[in-house]
Amino acid sequence: MAEEQKIFKVTIDNITIDVPAGTTILNAARKIGGEVAPPAMCYYSKLKGSGGKCRTCLVEVVSGSTVDPRPMPKLVASCRTNVMDGMVVKNITSEKVIDVRKGVVEFLLINHPLDCPVCDQAGECHLQDLTYSHGAEQTRYEFERRTFVREDIGDYIQLHMTRCILCYRCIYVADQLTNKRVHGILDRGDKSEISTYISKAIENDFSGNMIDVCPVGALTDRTFRFKNRVWFLKPVDAHRDCDKCHGQVTLWNRGDEVFRVTARKDEWGEVQTLSDGKPGWICNTCRFEKKHASDWVIEGPTKINRHSVISQGHYVGNVGMIMPPDPLDKVLFGRQPHLLLDIHDVSKVNQLEVHLSELEGPAVSNTFNGDPHASGHNVTDVKEGV
Amino acid sequence: MSKKILLEKANVENIQTMEVYRREGGYRSLEKALKMAPNDIVEEVKRSGLRGRGGAGFPTGLKWSFLAKPEGVERYLVCNADESEPGTFKDRYLMEFLPHLLIEGMIVSSFAVGSNVSYIYIRGEYEWVTDILDAAIDEARKAGFLGKNILGSGFDCEIYIHRGAGAYICGEETGLLESLEGKRGLPRIKPPFPAVKGLWDCPTVVNNVETIASVVSIINEGGDAYARIGVGKSTGTKLISACGNINKPGVYEIDMTISVEEFIYSDEYCGGIANGKKLKACVPGGSSVPILPASLLLTTAKGEKRLMNYESLSDGGFATGSMMGSGGFEVLDEDQCIVRHTLSLARFYHHESCGQCSPCREGTGWMEKILQKIEHGKGEMKDIDLLWDIQRKIEGNTICPLGEAAAWPVAAAIRHFRDEFEWHILNPKECLVRNYGLGKYAEALITS
Amino acid sequence: MEFSNDSLKKVHELISHYPEGKQKSALLPILHIAQKEFDGWLDVPVMDYVASILNIEPIEVYEVATFYSMFNLKPVGKYVFEVCQTGPCMVKGSDDIISYIKEKLDISVGETTPDGLFTLKTVECLGACGYAPMMQLGKTYREHLSKEKVDAIIAECKN
Repeated sequence: MAEEQKIFKVTIDNITIDVPAGTTILNAARKIGGEVAPPAMCYYSKLKGSGGKCRTCLVEVVSGSTVDPRPMPKLVASCRTNVMDGMVVKNITSEKVIDVRKGVVEFLLINHPLDCPVCDQAGECHLQDLTYSHGAEQTRYEFERRTFVREDIGDYIQLHMTRCILCYRCIYVADQLTNKRVHGILDRGDKSEISTYISKAIENDFSGNMIDVCPVGALTDRTFRFKNRVWFLKPVDAHRDCDKCHGQVTLWNRGDEVFRVTARKDEWGEVQTLSDGKPGWICNTCRFEKKHASDWVIEGPTKINRHSVISQGHYVGNVGMIMPPDPLDKVLFGRQPHLLLDIHDVSKVNQLEVHLSELEGPAVSNTFNGDPHASGHNVTDVKEGV
Repeated sequence: MSKKILLEKANVENIQTMEVYRREGGYRSLEKALKMAPNDIVEEVKRSGLRGRGGAGFPTGLKWSFLAKPEGVERYLVCNADESEPGTFKDRYLMEFLPHLLIEGMIVSSFAVGSNVSYIYIRGEYEWVTDILDAAIDEARKAGFLGKNILGSGFDCEIYIHRGAGAYICGEETGLLESLEGKRGLPRIKPPFPAVKGLWDCPTVVNNVETIASVVSIINEGGDAYARIGVGKSTGTKLISACGNINKPGVYEIDMTISVEEFIYSDEYCGGIANGKKLKACVPGGSSVPILPASLLLTTAKGEKRLMNYESLSDGGFATGSMMGSGGFEVLDEDQCIVRHTLSLARFYHHESCGQCSPCREGTGWMEKILQKIEHGKGEMKDIDLLWDIQRKIEGNTICPLGEAAAWPVAAAIRHFRDEFEWHILNPKECLVRNYGLGKYAEALITS
Repeated sequence: MEFSNDSLKKVHELISHYPEGKQKSALLPILHIAQKEFDGWLDVPVMDYVASILNIEPIEVYEVATFYSMFNLKPVGKYVFEVCQTGPCMVKGSDDIISYIKEKLDISVGETTPDGLFTLKTVECLGACGYAPMMQLGKTYREHLSKEKVDAIIAECKN
């Protein structure tokens, strides 16, 4: 019995659109696009059951529906709330939403290491973007941050739990894309962690997709680790014949050197939907083992939002295949320094052999923003008496 | 003397056994209910005005009537015996002393909602209570009150006990259902509600122990008779577990017309404040509800006597009132330190947060750390405002009510006892000495 | 690694309490049995064994075992003192009781005595607030604790 698809009218930030019944507020807002779409750190449209956890996409429903126009008493997770006919929603036009979202960003950051300078995810990190767009200028957290030991889960993936925001996406990938899940969420509360419990390798042809869904730098590609910054690379779309997946990928090149391979992403940072309507997950062979330009048929430059830092690495001419001239000569006006700067001297954060937990607590932001001479409080100060 | 419905027979010797329980009139409600139409039982419970005794106070009959009844899909009744709200120990008392009352209520309720397999989810620490209930279930099965074709009615029912393993969050009904499915007790995102998609995705009703036990009397005496007890929308009787600095801690059954003052000071109930001390503050409905100073506890902001019922305890909203909650009534005397007490509750919620959503996972720990700092004489004035802001950003923004449960105690403590926090910060050395209390909150009162 | 016949019987009875295909529901009750049978804590092989009985992945057991506070993931002493420290017990002096036990057994919270007899744990509300201060010892609650009562309990365990 084919049921006629009902169409609901929903108004988000004063813009009204028609969507099929069963659409979530978030997906309706994405149809409108731009700033009207709430940020989502845990929801992932291609992963069943995801969403509802991070609370960054909370919106205010000022009118539930035409039938029942009462407002909803609390902010709702737009990724898990379906629209009703005549619903009126406020996202960026709601002061309450902006205030609460700022709070959520602060919560997500209080235990985040803020080690962007050494994090491979920097430049394409959703938490970075979220913080810039919705966060406060400085944190009010002054206690020791939670740290975990880095762990290699197999040859291809490194787990940097300290950076994790517990979005659960990688768990859904393992459940829905692989035949056997060996990692999970252990412990509870703020001690929760992603782990295999007994250092097991995650070995599965599709495990690499966990890297693509991770919104932060908690799961990174070991074959790309510290090889380059993403904004120095030029993304190009390419494909190959693959017997495990569809073989449609984005190559991240510098000159003709392929630094890494990822799935193609859409404007929301999710793996692109292919022409057959299926999500474009890629296999580990394509991702980790095909690192030569000759492995691939190049299609052309990947479309990158011009606001993204990645669009800065713009190449001219033969796309992706010609190394741009080194800008160093130009900026140094012909001087030839022996050594520019040894970054390892500047901060212990850059010394790989020093674990983050051994570093002193991150400085309170007033060290950076206010008085440059002010000393930040950390837990050690508290113990000894402020 | 309040009329007793639940605990009337609690002191009868060997009431835990089927023989004595039957002799005292047990299982009459089952015989009566099986001759009724299930919907009539639901109507009877609606008429009684019974409200959920777990803490939220939602009308039970209404909850039952929301249950979806798709063809060919099992429905489940689950009893929430995961009593873990600090200050609350009434369900344990009920199960320990009157196990058959719960089993009788379970069978009647199962019949009403159409559940052929029902579960009692009991907190893991109550292991000996589990044994008592197991024995009662065995006896009920032998007596033909459980199993196939109960008393020739054609109704089949089994009850199983499922032990938790130490997680407050499993008292939240969807966290409980996850736990019952053998998973981590992470509350589900609603909708869908359990009435539509509950245990194993089937329509499910989750009710508290005391709620289910109350059904027995409603069937025996009728919903109208039950509704005549109490006042307004606070019908029937309520179990209050009283603890803290009182002379007679314990579980009391009250009809909801008595005043808070009478409850604390009369010899029938708490018997006054222990050791001749004065009353300072009280958390009247389990640790999540707002703490009130003595003055606002005994009289409302309007100057009326505050009564032990849903409406009166919440009179004035959170500005000057609190909540009935689960009936966990904790009394603090003049020596008790509000900062320390708030810290202990903040630590509790931090420990019990499931970690699924960010405001609760990160916010509860942060609040505990700040309270530790203040308690240990390292606080700064800005910390009080920071605490206020953190609790405000948790409240209402989490997946489940644990966010509110963690936020409210902190908010109420600052709202009513802000100067005690300030005193701690201004007197970092003295505050390390225990049992500090600002005397001005304590008021001597004479029982009327 | 295997359950005793009695335990195995109990395990299968527990599984029968849940609909077919929903055997994972029996995980918590079975872990209780496992913890009791295998020295009071859940070692990895024990959890893997439980996973095999329920036909689920080991990680599903680890996830659950680490979530619930009653499961011990490290060896514990023969007698585990689980002393409540939440509000209602605190106002009745649970801190003093905890300090006293620490002093008597000469261990910190979370530690086990060198003879392997006692482990001290602090726990959050156990639902005995009216009988505070209290602790759980094995299956039962020890309530209205005082220093004298603690002495008596320690003596009782030693005998």
